[in-house]
Amino acid sequence: MEGLMAFWGETGIAHFTSGQLLMMGVGCLLLYLAIKRGFEPLLLLPIGFGAILANIPNAGFTDEGGLLWYAYHVGIETGIFPLLIFMGVGAMTDFGALIANPKTLLLGAAAQFGIFATLLGAIALNLVPGFEFSMQDAAAIAIIGGADGPTAIFLASKLAPELLGAIAVAAYSYMALVPLIQPPIMKLLTTPAERSIKMEQLREVSKREKILFPLMVVGLTVLFLPAATPLVGMFCLGNLMKESGVVDRLSGTAQNELINIVTIFLGLAVGSKLSAEQFLRIETLGILVLGAVAFSIGTAAGVLMAKLMSKLSGGKVNPLIGAAGVSAVPMAARVVNRVGLEANHQNFLLMHAMGPNVAGVLGSAVAAGVLLAVLG
Amino acid sequence: MTSINQQLVDALGIMVMGMGLVFIFLSILIVGITIVAKFNPIPQPVKPVPGATNTTTAQGLDPKLVAAITSAIHQYRA
Repeated sequence: MEGLMAFWGETGIAHFTSGQLLMMGVGCLLLYLAIKRGFEPLLLLPIGFGAILANIPNAGFTDEGGLLWYAYHVGIETGIFPLLIFMGVGAMTDFGALIANPKTLLLGAAAQFGIFATLLGAIALNLVPGFEFSMQDAAAIAIIGGADGPTAIFLASKLAPELLGAIAVAAYSYMALVPLIQPPIMKLLTTPAERSIKMEQLREVSKREKILFPLMVVGLTVLFLPAATPLVGMFCLGNLMKESGVVDRLSGTAQNELINIVTIFLGLAVGSKLSAEQFLRIETLGILVLGAVAFSIGTAAGVLMAKLMSKLSGGKVNPLIGAAGVSAVPMAARVVNRVGLEANHQNFLLMHAMGPNVAGVLGSAVAAGVLLAVLG
Repeated sequence: MTSINQQLVDALGIMVMGMGLVFIFLSILIVGITIVAKFNPIPQPVKPVPGATNTTTAQGLDPKLVAAITSAIHQYRA
């Protein structure tokens, strides 16, 4: 009988709190979104499962010495996982469209307004009783507007580790929701005539230009914004490995095996931050709302900037491509292409939208560097 | 209340500075890309000189002529 009581004392049933059950529900919801709806499954699946594991009573997974604790401690607290992912993303990114039309960098810059406007919004939310975001917290939340998962996780791990779970979940959920969030904003700010503007075909880009590009970006970072070096540096290393063409094995590993392995542990580690006591707070609600606002403002700023460029160039730029300035590669570019096709069945904007899209990745890394330099 | 106002002013400052820096950084990059593009033009593919016999490819030959040569080689080898 005593043995039975001891066993009962070890079961999950005897120790569940309502918060843990609720968080397991959140974990299951993430699994449902990943498996059934196909929302960013590569990350939401391990995050969702991690959330379930992290809320098992008595499992000790997230206590010091447990697997999830180590994954978080080694990979996220140090910033290593998001940086390795950034290297893989660099190895997968083709800057050809951007180099062919460098002016699209301005669109990637404009879309970062979502980040900085949300910084203001997060501080303003402090006027509502129950919210107490410090400037660091606000910056970490605002970076959701960069629509770049690794950047958001990196910055949150440096500035506001206690909010990391909610920020990562918000960032990846909204990236998955790009096809729903962006089109209404894009249509609201443009006329059908503007949406059906056809753009000139992009010029060819030489191999040497592509090799020099990452080196140039690193050079500029070193000169003007050393705080952004971790993100930009790893990104450019991956890109140089791809474009140089002499280390195909390394480039292949960075964009396949390595990024896959890291993604598993990153997802689990982020999931481990979804424990009831850390997630079930009023702040989480604020983060989710602010994230959506950041995303929408970023999209709108990108479209408005593209409209301005369209006016100045005499109607050679389709304003829709500005929406791709919030990174979310390549989803945002695909959305632009789709909305463009709706307006004009022969209008293929995908390649034109890839320019601002990859510019957005650089832009959000630079914005993260600025926030780190000021608040870190 | 005043502290929130102070924070809002700070946030506004970061916003202006941040957007400024992002724009300056990426604008310098635009200049850089333009300069690099100017010095690295795409190598134009060498156009075959018209009339030169040694650049004529198999596709350029009359199929009848090719057939005749092939059969001649076969006969020679046999």
